[in-house]
Amino acid sequence: MGASTLLLTGNIDTIAQMSCNPAIGGQAKGQMVREIDALGGEMAINTDLTAIQFRLLNESKGPAVRSPRAQCDKKAYQFRLKHTLELQKNLQIFQATVTGLIYKNGRVIGCQTNLDIEFIGRTVVVTTGTFLRGLMHVGQNKNEGGRLGDFSAKTLSASLMEAGIELQRLKTGTPPRLLGRSINFTGLQEQKGDPKPTLFAFHDTRDHEDLFHVEQTGERRLGWSPGSEQASCWMTYTTPASAKIVRDNLHKSAMYSGEIEGVGPRYCPSIEDKFVRFADKPRHLLFLEPEGRSTNEYYINGLSTSLPFDVQLDLVHSIPGLEQAVLLRPAYAVEYDFAPPTQLFPSLESRKAENLFLAGQINGTSGYEEAAAQGLIAGVNAVLKGRGEDPLIIQRHEGYIGVLIDDLVTKGTIEPYRMFTSRAEHRLLFNHGSSELRLLEHSKLHKLISDNRLCNISKKLDRVIYWQNYLENTRSSRGLWAEAIRRDKEVALLPTDLAAESPEIREEVLYRVIYSGYLERELRQIEKLKHVEKIRIPVEMDYAAIPGMRRESALKLAQFRPQNLGQASRISGVNPADISILMIQIAAQRRATNNS
Amino acid sequence: MLFPSDTIVALATPVGTSALALIRASGPAASTLVEKIFARPPLPRTAQHADYRDAQGILIDDVLFTFFSGPNSFTGEDCLEISCHGNPFIAQKILADLLTQGCRSAEPGEFSKRAFLNGRMDLSQAEAVMDLIHARSDQALAAANQQLRGSLGRHMADLTTRLIKTLAQIEAYIDFPDEDLPDENRQSIDREIDILIKDTSRLLATSYYGALLREGIKTVILGEPNAGKSSLLNCLVGRERALVSSEPGTTRDYLEEPIIIGPYCLRLIDTAGLNPVPAPLEKRGIEKSLEQTTQADLFLWVIDATRPHLDLPSAFSQRLTVKNTLVVYNKCDLSVIAPSPLPLTFPFVRISALNATGLTALQDVLVEMAASFQVNIGSEVIAINARHAQALEQAKKCLQAAKVKLAENSYSELLSSDLRSALESFAQISGKIDHERVLDELFASFCIGK
Repeated sequence: MGASTLLLTGNIDTIAQMSCNPAIGGQAKGQMVREIDALGGEMAINTDLTAIQFRLLNESKGPAVRSPRAQCDKKAYQFRLKHTLELQKNLQIFQATVTGLIYKNGRVIGCQTNLDIEFIGRTVVVTTGTFLRGLMHVGQNKNEGGRLGDFSAKTLSASLMEAGIELQRLKTGTPPRLLGRSINFTGLQEQKGDPKPTLFAFHDTRDHEDLFHVEQTGERRLGWSPGSEQASCWMTYTTPASAKIVRDNLHKSAMYSGEIEGVGPRYCPSIEDKFVRFADKPRHLLFLEPEGRSTNEYYINGLSTSLPFDVQLDLVHSIPGLEQAVLLRPAYAVEYDFAPPTQLFPSLESRKAENLFLAGQINGTSGYEEAAAQGLIAGVNAVLKGRGEDPLIIQRHEGYIGVLIDDLVTKGTIEPYRMFTSRAEHRLLFNHGSSELRLLEHSKLHKLISDNRLCNISKKLDRVIYWQNYLENTRSSRGLWAEAIRRDKEVALLPTDLAAESPEIREEVLYRVIYSGYLERELRQIEKLKHVEKIRIPVEMDYAAIPGMRRESALKLAQFRPQNLGQASRISGVNPADISILMIQIAAQRRATNNS
Repeated sequence: MLFPSDTIVALATPVGTSALALIRASGPAASTLVEKIFARPPLPRTAQHADYRDAQGILIDDVLFTFFSGPNSFTGEDCLEISCHGNPFIAQKILADLLTQGCRSAEPGEFSKRAFLNGRMDLSQAEAVMDLIHARSDQALAAANQQLRGSLGRHMADLTTRLIKTLAQIEAYIDFPDEDLPDENRQSIDREIDILIKDTSRLLATSYYGALLREGIKTVILGEPNAGKSSLLNCLVGRERALVSSEPGTTRDYLEEPIIIGPYCLRLIDTAGLNPVPAPLEKRGIEKSLEQTTQADLFLWVIDATRPHLDLPSAFSQRLTVKNTLVVYNKCDLSVIAPSPLPLTFPFVRISALNATGLTALQDVLVEMAASFQVNIGSEVIAINARHAQALEQAKKCLQAAKVKLAENSYSELLSSDLRSALESFAQISGKIDHERVLDELFASFCIGK
C-alpha cells in the first residue's frame, strides 16, 4: 500500500517464532490462511516454502470444510519471514521493547521504548501476543515472560489502561519438547503427509517473481517444489499409569491449585483437564511432531500441562515410545493480559483511543492464523485511517476473517477465541479454493496484491463464470450438463475444453455446479440481511433518548456502539422491535437534517 | 429505499369481534398475489368480488379485495387488502395460505414503520410510530411468553436442545478431524432425527392453533337421561343431527358436530345421559362419555328444570369449574320447580330446546365463555400461532431432507446444513439461538483438544 512503516519488536530473532506447535492451518484455519493469501498476506507462501508435511483434512466431510494443514520447519518459517520483512519496501525494523503509548488529546501519536527512544506515527498497531504481563507457570514455579526464554511486557498494560482500555486475564499452555533421538519410534503409528500436497498460496494466479520474491537457498534449487520432501508425525497414547500420575499430583498443578486466574481454552485442554473431565476415557491420543529439518526437537501435541517438572518427567516416561525420552523444554502454562475486543470498532481500531489498532492475542484470540488475519486487517486499516479513507471490513458472508472479527467486536470472548467452521453460518460458501475469488473486490480496491495477480484472478473468475453458465445452459448427450453432473455426481465426463482448464478452475466450477442449490439458498439468506448492514448508525446516536426503546437494549447499544443496523441486530439482548425503533429514529434524524 | 422489499401480511382487524375480517399485505409481491389468487389483473383502488382459492385450488371464502399501487397506499408500497367473513378460521386459513405463497408475518407495527420510512407520514409522527412498535411488541411478547412458558415453550426447549445435541454429533467430526473420537455413529443420528421428526409432527398436530383450526373448542354436553341434551345440540346446529325421543337413554354413543358461534368454532359433543342406574348397554355409552370429558374445553350441563336434578357421578363433577361450565336449564316452557343447589355457583341460562327460546342468551354466554377461555390471548396471538405452525412445518421439511442425506450417505457439511436450517426454524418460535451452544454441547460431550 506504500505506507512508510516501522516494526518494533523486543527481539528481531523471534519474529514469526511459533510459540506453540509448528503447524499452520487445520479446520477453518486452513481456509483462513488462504483468505490471508487472497488479501496479500505472507503466511501462505511462507508455509508452502517451509512446510515439511502437508495434509488435507476433512476429505470425507465435504468440499466446503476441507482444510489444508501443514507441519512447518519452525526455524525455516521464522527465518524466511524475517528475511521477507527485511527486504520489504517501505518497512523499517527496529529492536526495542515498547514500554508505553504516547497520547495527545485522546489520540495515540506514537510509542515509548525501553531505550528511551520515542517513535511518532499517524497510527499504531499493537500486537502483544502472550507477552502483556506474561506470567509462566511450571507447577508452583513462576517466571515472568510471554514465552519460555523471553521477556514480559510489563508497563504497556498500564499505558493501555490509561486510555480507558479495560484489561482481563487469559491463560494458555504448551506441552514439553523432547529430544528426537531419545524417542523409541518402533511400535508407534506413523502419520505421513499427503502424496500430493494441497498448498496454501494460490500459485496458479501468481507469476514466478510473485512467488519467490525473497530469494533464499533451497527454494530455487532445480526441481524443488513445495511438499516434495515430507516428514512424518507419530501417534502414541497415554497409559493408565499416566492417568495415575496426573491424578496423584493434581494439587501440584498450577491450574488446579488456584495459582492461575486466567481462563483457558476449552478446545486446548491441559492433560489434567482431560483426565479430570473425561475420567472414563481410558487413554488420550498424542502426536509427536518434528519441529524442523535442522533440529531433533519434537513437540508432543496433546500433552499441555502446568504440572511441576518432576511430575512432567514421570508423566512423559509413562507413555509408550517415550520411556527414555529426554525433555529439552518443560511444558508450561502462560497467563497474559488481553483487552476484551468489544472495545474495538470492526476496523480493529480501539474505541477508547483513536489511531490505536489492536490485533492478535491482545484481542482474546489464540492461534497463528487468527492473529495473522487480524494483523493484516489492522495493518490495512491503520494505513487507510492515516489517509482518511473508509476501513476494510470483511463481511460475515465473505469469509472466515469476517466471522472472526465480527464475533470479536460484537460478542466478545471469555476464553481464547479460536476459529471453527461451525462458527460461520455460511460456511458452504467458504470452500478454500474460492478465497481469492470471494475477496477479489477488496484486494482490488485496496491494491493489496500485484496488478498482475489481480488481472490473473479476474481472468480466472471470468473462466469460472463462463463455465458455470455453459454447463447450466448447454445440453450434452445426458441432458443439461449441469443436471447430468449433479445427478450422476460423475465428473469424469466433462466438455473437453473444461477438462483442459487448470485444476483450480475445474474444481471451482464443479463445486459451484454441484452445490448450486445450497449456494443459492445461502445467497438468498445473505441478500435478506444485506440491507441492514448498509444502514449506518450515526456515531453520536443517543440511545437513552430514543422513545419506546427498551432500557436494556439502549444500554447494550450504548455499550457496543454498533456502526450499522446489522451489527446492532447481532448484539445479544437487543430484540427486533428495538431494531425497528432504531431504524425509525435514524430515518427521522436523516429527514430532520434534510429539512433544515 | 431504506429497507428491504419483501412482502408482509397481517390481520388488520381484531380477531372475533366484527362481521368482516380484513387481511392486509404490503410489498412488491402484492400485484402478483392478485394475479395468482384471483386470476385477475391488479386494478388499483377498485374493490372486486372474487373467490379466494388457496394454493391447492380449494375454495376458502368469497371475498372483496382491493389493490393499491405504491406509492399511493398506506405504506407507500403496493398493497393488497382482502375482506373475508369475520370467522377467524377463514381469516387464519387465508393468512396461512399467504404465508405459503412467500409472504412473511408482519412484525409488530411494521405497516406503520414502512409508511413512515416511505415518507407517508410526516416527521412529527415518528415518535408515535416508535411508541406503537414498542406497545405492539410488548403485547406480542407477552402473548408469546405466555405460550412459551407453557407446554409449547417446554417442548420447544426440549426439541431445540436435542437438535443441538444431534448437530454437535456431526460438527464434532467436522471441526475436530484429528481427534481421537469414538467412531461417528450415523445410525444414532438417524434415530435421533426420526424422533425429532415424530415430535415435531406431534407438536404440529396438537398445537393449539392447529387443533382450534381443525376442531374448534371441544364442548361436551352432559346431563341426566332425557334432560334434552340432544335437542340442545340440534337447536344449536340448526338441524336434526341427533336422534331425539322422549325415551330416556336414546343416545347410547356420543355424537360430534362443529358449530360456529360468533367468532368461535365449537365442537359440540353430545353424550349419553348419565343414568345413576344404567342399563348394560347404557353403561358402555357412559364410559365413552367419560373419555370425552377428559379432553373437553367447555361443558354444557343440561338440567331438566321440571324435575329435581341428580348429582353427577364424581368422575364427571370433579372436571367442572365455574369457568368451564355453563348450566342449561331446559324445558323452561313447562312448569318449572325451584332448582336444587348445585355443587358450585355455575353460570346458567334458561331455555326451551323444544320451542327454541332462550337460545340467543345461550349463544351470547357461550361466546363470552369461549372468549374468556382464551383470555390470555390478545389479538396478535393467532397470527403468532400460524407462524409457529409455519416454522414447525419448515423445520420438519429440513429434518426430512437431513434423513434423505443420511440415506444417501451425503457429506456431513450438507447434513449439517439441513439441521442448521431446522434449528433456524425452531429459533423463529423460541427466539435467537446462539451458535455457541453447539460448541458448548460439543465440548461437554467429547474429550477434545490437543
